[in-house]
Amino acid sequence: MRLADLQAMFQAGVLAGAEDGARILESVKNSRQADRTTLFGVYVNAYHARLAEFLAADFPALRALIGEAAFDALADAYIGAQPSRERNARWYTTRFPDFLREQDAWCDNARAIDLAMFERALTDAFDAPDAEALPIEELAAFAPEQWPRLSFTFHPSLILLELEDGTIATHEAAMEQQDLPPPGEGRGHVAIWRADLDSVHCPLEADEFLALSLAMEGHAFGDICQMAAFRDLADASPERLAQMLTGWFQEGLVVGAKAREEG
Amino acid sequence: MTRPPALGHGLGLRPIYYDEILSTRPAVDWFEIISENYMVGGGRPTAMLERVRADYPIVMHGVAMSLASTDPLDFDYLSELKALAERIEPAWVSDHLAWTGVHGVTLHDLLPIPYTEEALAHVAERVMRVQDFLGRRLVVENASTYVAFRESEMSEWAFVNELARRADCLLLLDVNNVFVSGFNHGFDANEFIDTIDPDRVAQFHMAGHTDNGTHRIDTHDQPVCDEVWALYERARRRFGAVSTMIERDDNFPPFDELLTELGHMREIAARIDAENTRSAA
Repeated sequence: MRLADLQAMFQAGVLAGAEDGARILESVKNSRQADRTTLFGVYVNAYHARLAEFLAADFPALRALIGEAAFDALADAYIGAQPSRERNARWYTTRFPDFLREQDAWCDNARAIDLAMFERALTDAFDAPDAEALPIEELAAFAPEQWPRLSFTFHPSLILLELEDGTIATHEAAMEQQDLPPPGEGRGHVAIWRADLDSVHCPLEADEFLALSLAMEGHAFGDICQMAAFRDLADASPERLAQMLTGWFQEGLVVGAKAREEG
Repeated sequence: MTRPPALGHGLGLRPIYYDEILSTRPAVDWFEIISENYMVGGGRPTAMLERVRADYPIVMHGVAMSLASTDPLDFDYLSELKALAERIEPAWVSDHLAWTGVHGVTLHDLLPIPYTEEALAHVAERVMRVQDFLGRRLVVENASTYVAFRESEMSEWAFVNELARRADCLLLLDVNNVFVSGFNHGFDANEFIDTIDPDRVAQFHMAGHTDNGTHRIDTHDQPVCDEVWALYERARRRFGAVSTMIERDDNFPPFDELLTELGHMREIAARIDAENTRSAA
């Protein structure tokens, strides 16, 4: 048998979990101590166990929330539906929250989906690319008339999410193996990013979530002030936006600033 | 054929030990990284690696090159690996005589091959292309395997020697893998050790494994067992002072326990060197 055919059959056997009757077994020898089904089973079991371990490691709070049995069933379904196409195992779990959202049994469970989204964001922020924070003093280089045209770039780790209230409290309780709080009633916003090599997060008011979202899209300072949606929010004013901007600099979220050309 | 200079006795750099390594600067001669763990954007993994690199030689050991796969080589992956190597300047770069998947799928495992002339020509050609691309000689490790194929036409050690000769690559002799595969397939681990070309061996791996009775699995979650220490002693006598490290990837003990294992390895090496000195005198 050619190598390519043997590898295709071997992989099919591992993915199918077929310890009996896998065609590859015809090419596998029994050892002195073990039959070939047992020996091939080492690869079948390792494949499943390894991927399940990746999921459990990246979503420990979700596992605590929905329970081990439900999590393991969900992991089984994900592994069955989604063979890894990632060279680096780091990225295998990335689609898990989306998969959860696509499942009939889970699509209405905002608490579980949002917790999974939050855990993925913590993981993504943790090893996102590095970037030097821009000191706020750099803004002195811009003339006052340039300010309305200023736009900013943000740290690559920064992620904004809308989550069910209580998601972060649930995460914290789960990580400390405490009793989980009851589900929240409304929805709120949170920023997740990396500071001092660890993922951190902070709740955002609706106006700051909107302003930061617009700023991350590249909208200029003056444009954000003008945006009707922003103006409609309580306490929205250029002064409020300047205050937010100062906070973003203080948190090290801003890594670049430039003034758009006039005209 | 020139082997790289021996770095001494090393350990795997694993996240659980970052703080202890950086705060105590332990007497470890060098560290080996799992390359893929640092092929990420940035953050703690790359920051810790750069700090450790400032004080210790580093060797890059990969698990995802899939040298024996019949899929095309993944040059996106190799580009990332090359960029990491250019940043870290490792003493060398290694990966396994194994494949990880075909048809674009990755099983995240080191999968076995039949030891055939076809596979030998295929892997040797790929090793040469990887070496050309990376601009450095590759160090290729024998993997632990749990199945043997009817299609095999030669022994694993004959395959490994011929691969090294044809591709002009170096070898990472995983002593524990020799033991595990020897047990699983019923070959004599001593014969494997005694047959490998000494000029090609750049590094040894040592590790613990799990004894499942009918077969053994390379789990890296236990101390090195007595049989593998004995095999190390045999390898150390045959191959001389080769850079050696202990892999531990699960069931992590206090770091001191790894240092104690490393001390045991040093004692064996020192004893052999003393014997050699006496017999030469």
